[in-house]
Amino acid sequence: MDGESMTHPNPQDYRSDVKPVWCPGCGHFAVITSVARALAELGLARENVALISGIGCSSRLPAYSTVYGFHGVHGRALPVATGLKMARQDLTVLVAGGDGDGFSIGGNHFLHACRRNVDLTYIVMDNSVYGMTKGQASPTTEADWDGSKLTPGGPGIAPFQPLEIALSAGASFVARAFSGQPAELTRQICEAICHKGFSFIHVLSPCITYRPEQRAYKDKVHQDWSQPASDRTEAFRTLLEDDGFATGILFRGSEPAAKPVERPRVALSDMETQFVV
Amino acid sequence: MDDLGTFLAHAVALEKESGERFDALADSLEVHHNPEVVELFRKMAHFSRLHLREVQDRAVGVVLPHLRPWEFSWPNAEAPETPSVEDTHYRMTAHHALLQALASERQGQAFYAGVAARTVNAQVKALATAFAAEEGEHVALLEATLSRFPPPPANWAEDPDPPNAPD
Repeated sequence: MDGESMTHPNPQDYRSDVKPVWCPGCGHFAVITSVARALAELGLARENVALISGIGCSSRLPAYSTVYGFHGVHGRALPVATGLKMARQDLTVLVAGGDGDGFSIGGNHFLHACRRNVDLTYIVMDNSVYGMTKGQASPTTEADWDGSKLTPGGPGIAPFQPLEIALSAGASFVARAFSGQPAELTRQICEAICHKGFSFIHVLSPCITYRPEQRAYKDKVHQDWSQPASDRTEAFRTLLEDDGFATGILFRGSEPAAKPVERPRVALSDMETQFVV
Repeated sequence: MDDLGTFLAHAVALEKESGERFDALADSLEVHHNPEVVELFRKMAHFSRLHLREVQDRAVGVVLPHLRPWEFSWPNAEAPETPSVEDTHYRMTAHHALLQALASERQGQAFYAGVAARTVNAQVKALATAFAAEEGEHVALLEATLSRFPPPPANWAEDPDPPNAPD
């Protein structure tokens, strides 16, 4: 990233006039601020950026931004973004969503987006709860969380491990940030945008309404990953020690990003000849 | 912090981010129909912008370096005068909002006092000392205001129809 020789736009230029309806105290406020700061830092023209989302509190991000946006259907942000990036390689495509949208309803798309290594930046705001639908357990909820009547005694199943799965499935940039540390989150978003390939940022973003105990995240997070591993095996070893609160860029690979398939060299008329009997 | 331009870049960012955050908090409380706190946060945002203008005036003729958001030497995760998001609540009172504002001003004062104590640059020391004194005045003003807004009853957050009531 060369930030020295350019004029930087004002981050506020990337924010729309729509006021967020998130609960006061929600971690997502810092995420939209960090996205705006990162876009300003990189000097990206608004018309060259698209922000795609699915459904959920965090998926409201496109409405709060002045870049192009698409508020898609539940769990389907990544297919939409993949199609857009394949059709318009010149655009910077960001994808935003939550843990339910990304890891449950859209879990299959998450696996294959990692595997395809399309040049996207996927920001998942994880609060381990379905906040918009009044607080049900999500894929990343702890097995014994007893906060929802739908899962008395807790969901009882081991939580989804986003970083391990992203790494296994082939994501070429894997990081974790905390919404309470917006400067570090901004740095990661800048690095992810500049990385050519599928970049996944797992953001711990407290839901103070349904998970008030997440206010304690600020005392739990610790920035451990100061140097990203370039070797996937090494990154896996680092994750074996992970308590879920380490932050930083875990892995940055060098696999080539997916490119659109070239136009077919066979014309329709050529194909028709094959069917002539 | 021994370079005048770097110091002023920090001072500009400190006031700018404070004003933006107070506005964001006001927006958030406006959505949740808490006009008393909205008014207070808007006033704090206004004061931050006034202070920003003062700092910018003092910076005329000085080349300020461009610092990336993560290159600032803040003592904590954010600029010291930026009020915390997580301390807000949709039923918070003016008392809570003033406490939040007071905490941010105290952090700003401590930041400038720290720079003044450590720098070897006489110009930076003089400016940081002046800024710390100004922040001290704001702290005193907020403390006086806070005395007119006593703590609310212990059940201030109680809501007979809370947004997180399970269906």
